[in-house]
Amino acid sequence: MTGSPQWLSMETRVKPAVFDYHRPDNIEEACALLAEYGADARVLSGGQSLVPLMNMRILSPAVLIDINRCRDLAYLREEGAAIACGALTRQSEAETSDLVASRLPLMSIAMPHVGVRASRNFGTVCGSLAHADPLAELPSVASALDARFVIASSRGRREVTADEFFVSALTNCLEPDEMLAEVKMPAIAEGAGCAFHEIANRAHGFAVAGVAACVEFGPDGRCSRARLSAMGAGDTTARLSPVEALIEGQRLDDALIRAAGAEAAVVADPAGDVHADAAYRAEAIGSLVRKVLRQMQGAAVER
Amino acid sequence: MSAKKVTVRMKVNGKEYVREVEPRYLLADFLRHELQLTGTHIGCEHGVCGACTVLINGKTGRSCLQFAAALDGAEITTVEGIAGDGPLHPVQEAFHDAHALQCGYCTPGFLMTTIEFLQSNPNPDRGQIRQALTNNMCRCTGYLNIVDAVEDAAKRMREGACGA
Amino acid sequence: MKAIEDFTLIGKTVLRREDSYLMRGKAQFLDDLPEPKGLIHLAFVLSPYACADILSVDASAAKALPGVIDVLTGKDLVGDIKTFAPVIEIEGYRDVRRPVVAVDRVNFVGEYVAVILAESPYVAQDALDLVEVDYDPLPAVAGIEEAEAAGAPVIHSHLGDNHIFRAAFETEDFDARFAEGDLVLEEEFRNGKTAGGMIEPRGCMAWPDPVATNFTLWTPTQIPHIVRTAIADHLDIPESVLRVVAPAVGGGFGTKAHVFPDELIVVALARRYGRAVKWVQDRRESLLTNMHARGHILHIKVSVKQDGTLCGVYLNLKTNCGAYPNHPYSPTLEATGCARMLPGPYRFQTYRYDVSSLITNTCPTGAKRGTGQPSAFLAIEGMMDRIGRRLGIDPAEVRRRNTVRPEEFPYVNVVGVRYDTGSYLPSLERGLEMIGYDAFRAAQPKDRLVNGKYRGIGICNYTEVSGTGAPGWRVRGFAKMPGFDSSRVVVEPDGKITVYVSQADAGQGHYTTFAQIAADRLGVACEDVTVVEGDTSKTPYGTGTFASRGSVVGGGTVIRCSEKVGVKIRRIAGYMLDADPERLVLKDGRVADPEDAGRSLSLREVAETAYSMNNLGLPQGEEHGLEATDYYDPPMVTMANGTHVVQVAVDPEDGRVEIERYAVVHDCGRVINPRIVEGQVHGATVQGIGEALMEEIVYDADGQHLNANLLDYLMPTAMDVPELELDHIETPSIDTVGGIKGAAEGGLTGAVPAIANAVGDALSGLGVNITRVPLRPSSVFEQIRRACTEKEGRA
Repeated sequence: MTGSPQWLSMETRVKPAVFDYHRPDNIEEACALLAEYGADARVLSGGQSLVPLMNMRILSPAVLIDINRCRDLAYLREEGAAIACGALTRQSEAETSDLVASRLPLMSIAMPHVGVRASRNFGTVCGSLAHADPLAELPSVASALDARFVIASSRGRREVTADEFFVSALTNCLEPDEMLAEVKMPAIAEGAGCAFHEIANRAHGFAVAGVAACVEFGPDGRCSRARLSAMGAGDTTARLSPVEALIEGQRLDDALIRAAGAEAAVVADPAGDVHADAAYRAEAIGSLVRKVLRQMQGAAVER
Repeated sequence: MSAKKVTVRMKVNGKEYVREVEPRYLLADFLRHELQLTGTHIGCEHGVCGACTVLINGKTGRSCLQFAAALDGAEITTVEGIAGDGPLHPVQEAFHDAHALQCGYCTPGFLMTTIEFLQSNPNPDRGQIRQALTNNMCRCTGYLNIVDAVEDAAKRMREGACGA
Repeated sequence: MKAIEDFTLIGKTVLRREDSYLMRGKAQFLDDLPEPKGLIHLAFVLSPYACADILSVDASAAKALPGVIDVLTGKDLVGDIKTFAPVIEIEGYRDVRRPVVAVDRVNFVGEYVAVILAESPYVAQDALDLVEVDYDPLPAVAGIEEAEAAGAPVIHSHLGDNHIFRAAFETEDFDARFAEGDLVLEEEFRNGKTAGGMIEPRGCMAWPDPVATNFTLWTPTQIPHIVRTAIADHLDIPESVLRVVAPAVGGGFGTKAHVFPDELIVVALARRYGRAVKWVQDRRESLLTNMHARGHILHIKVSVKQDGTLCGVYLNLKTNCGAYPNHPYSPTLEATGCARMLPGPYRFQTYRYDVSSLITNTCPTGAKRGTGQPSAFLAIEGMMDRIGRRLGIDPAEVRRRNTVRPEEFPYVNVVGVRYDTGSYLPSLERGLEMIGYDAFRAAQPKDRLVNGKYRGIGICNYTEVSGTGAPGWRVRGFAKMPGFDSSRVVVEPDGKITVYVSQADAGQGHYTTFAQIAADRLGVACEDVTVVEGDTSKTPYGTGTFASRGSVVGGGTVIRCSEKVGVKIRRIAGYMLDADPERLVLKDGRVADPEDAGRSLSLREVAETAYSMNNLGLPQGEEHGLEATDYYDPPMVTMANGTHVVQVAVDPEDGRVEIERYAVVHDCGRVINPRIVEGQVHGATVQGIGEALMEEIVYDADGQHLNANLLDYLMPTAMDVPELELDHIETPSIDTVGGIKGAAEGGLTGAVPAIANAVGDALSGLGVNITRVPLRPSSVFEQIRRACTEKEGRA
């Protein structure tokens, strides 16, 4: 929840405004409703990001399209080399899924950081992605995993990358008649190291910054592929490409890790808010990059 | 400005209810003001404090972030449904013995969290308990006696299960 | 005061009777009360500006909305409610009054601009969107320094500047005595503004009696009697027609120990419309408009001898009043409170202070657990560490050398406050022992760096003002603060006991502890005692539950009142048994003659006689009934004390502070219920951890409140709390009834300075100087970075 501080004090409503309620039974019906109501409508899945905004009347959609009965969107399955996660997959399902644990361990280790259990029981993976909070965990995990975002509308389907999907803080690339139907994440290569860490002003919740990383190593112990993305590094979740370039093909020794951290702090272009100023966020991302990479050293050695 | 009401059928604490509500009516308000089940408390209405936590189809959820209309057909358990007027539930007994509540406003939410948590993790360590309790905020107790209570409740429930 | 030696239930852990209904969801908090027919729901239009002229309010669209009963502006209410202000009579205080709903000008974000009356809370919220207010925004000042700067906008023009309060104090020959020291150290400390943060937001409901012109106000308050007096004063109604009831209260922490504009408004509107009126605030309103606390600037100068003993202390304290003085304390509460509490457990007798409170365009500040004490001890305990570092003396030893010694009690401190008893040195020693202080120090490297983290220990040796009586309030200018509390103890005809107390519980366990006390004094079982409080129509007048006074003053009056009834019980029983009443003993629900075994009466038998339910009659001159009323005005104050010792690790990578060990030694005099005291210490300590490490209300330079929600105003969770190692010392007061001292605030007071000092110790090798809380990772990191840069610059 970033954005202009103005709404914080201007808005003081705590009951949602009136809306028309629709409950489609499948994605076709949902898309038809979106086609009909467009920008006046919002899709309700778990509601854990949307409803707080509605309670505070930061958002007052005229139409709510509740997709919780669209059973065709509730799946988490292996499709070739990727894991497909439908729009109705709850975060808690992904958290406890053996499939996710074995094929997308990065998501498994990040999930306990997402909200709290009561929010994960209802909040969906796709809902959190669509919320596009640059300080949320799942967008950064999806970005690190080169996720493909499957977007549906009555006009058809299209797929975009994380870079395309996350436009700016709390803004995604969906057109008014579109919804995020699925996110597809390529399975992580066996033996790759995964790490996720964040920093907050208290032990749990509302991160100031975070880093998700997935690093593959060659038989020579050198880093063959590095994917790192940061929370709080800008107005969208962002891959730390220069850091990735710096470590690919190299051994993760202490000097390289220090250099990677320094590079991350330079690459990050964070905003300041009540929780931390921009300068700290940049340094925190640097420190988190060092932390995740130090953890990777273990993964490299284990091979 | 009021919208068309919709019919909601809900089983709350084992009892069937049918009500007509505005779609925007929050579950917390529905439970408290339509069903007079005021044990579920409201602390923030943006999903942070956890005072309004109830079990929705067996899982903890924030009742301030759910629309009653969207839960047509759901089964809800609130704090009133834990023990009713009968003997206290082991989790309640443990909270009482550990002095794990002071003003008690947040306590119904903590009880729901604890019940769900101990179902999935009957033998937790204190670190896991603390992690689970991030579901809820308490401003009176400083949490330590709640951690003790959850630890003790787990023990009581394990022993109860063995004895049964 | 004669010490009581024969306690039976006082001092024992009795599990709380409140728990069962709270855990079954049956307690009735304000919003849980059954709603009367025809209830009007209120919502307030809040100012979005910190300072603006109100040009016009157009409520026509809101009024046209179905379900809206009316919309009123400040102008509409001028005739119903007088301008609102506390009664403070002390030199240096200047009166500032506020309309309960703004009339021409708003002075902080969240100030009420209009009130909507609607048939449902949802409709009231809808109507808010439809009220159009035309503002002319004006320059605002949010901070203390901005408010006192030359040329700053004057917020209340009749004051001429933004000072609402100034006070000064100086001991004899201050300058000469201060100059006797070998060196002078000075520092400026600051703390962030914080909020009480109780999980139950405020609200209130007024209910006109359908047949008479009487009103009941239900409000979750810590001070029902004071609320009633204030409403009667400002609405011009007799106190006798108003009943104020505190239902179950979801945490108070001082925030609910104020009188609020909305409490006046709901009663005025119930009077105006002849209907019940209810308002419940949401979390945003709670953080925008309930009294804030802290936000102090403390400039302290100490003069010390080479051996570390203090020659004199000078304090210049500035506090942020907010836009208006709170009711009933005004900003003098924290200002004078802090300056007068700063001497703490120390022996110095040369002291001067200058305090001032500044009006700013922010939410009014007021009472919150600890009041001025966390600030006072942040300063004085911070200086103890600095003295040690400067003179090369261990900081624990500096404290030892300055602490009031056991043989000096009763001791009168530099501002004239009597410390009747205390365990200042023993609690310090015990705290050090618990944490293994000497071993830690011996192993601690000079740079404090152990396994990649800077590790340090912090100490806070504190005193805790409690149980303030009338003289204590008068000396600080609180003209209408009674100071006493009262009780009525009734032995009912069946021999069971009802205790009415002028207090109002907000989770402290009064229903159990006061029952314990009465049962103890009357020799009955706890179960035979019912406690009633929080209702002005049922209990005699009193001050209420705040400032650690519940156990001291409430407990004291229940002891006295029970003993008064005990005298009558003995008189009647003596008559019935033909025995000397003085000799009779109340025990096990009976009145017995210990010198004549077998001769005893049940309390019920005595009560039946008292209520004329048998043929026995009463002794000559004895009145019917079996009850007593007591008003207990305690001494000026009684001082509890304790020590916090905290070990932290600071990660230089990200600035995070981790509490590794935490020891608390706590002395609140006679303990009534150990388990409940422990709960108070836990809760207060964790609120202190919040103030020390994360909590802060943030205003920008324009007076915009930037974090009025629980995503952005961070309070500790279960993962932020270390295991507390807790030990008690019990040093009963010799001044208060029963030897009781207060217990609720010391945890917070001890935690903030101890944590700040621990971080300061950990980073002392780097030359980091910790002067401000909260110590969030970003702030700690920045200070480490700056210190390292400076070091490199010097090298």
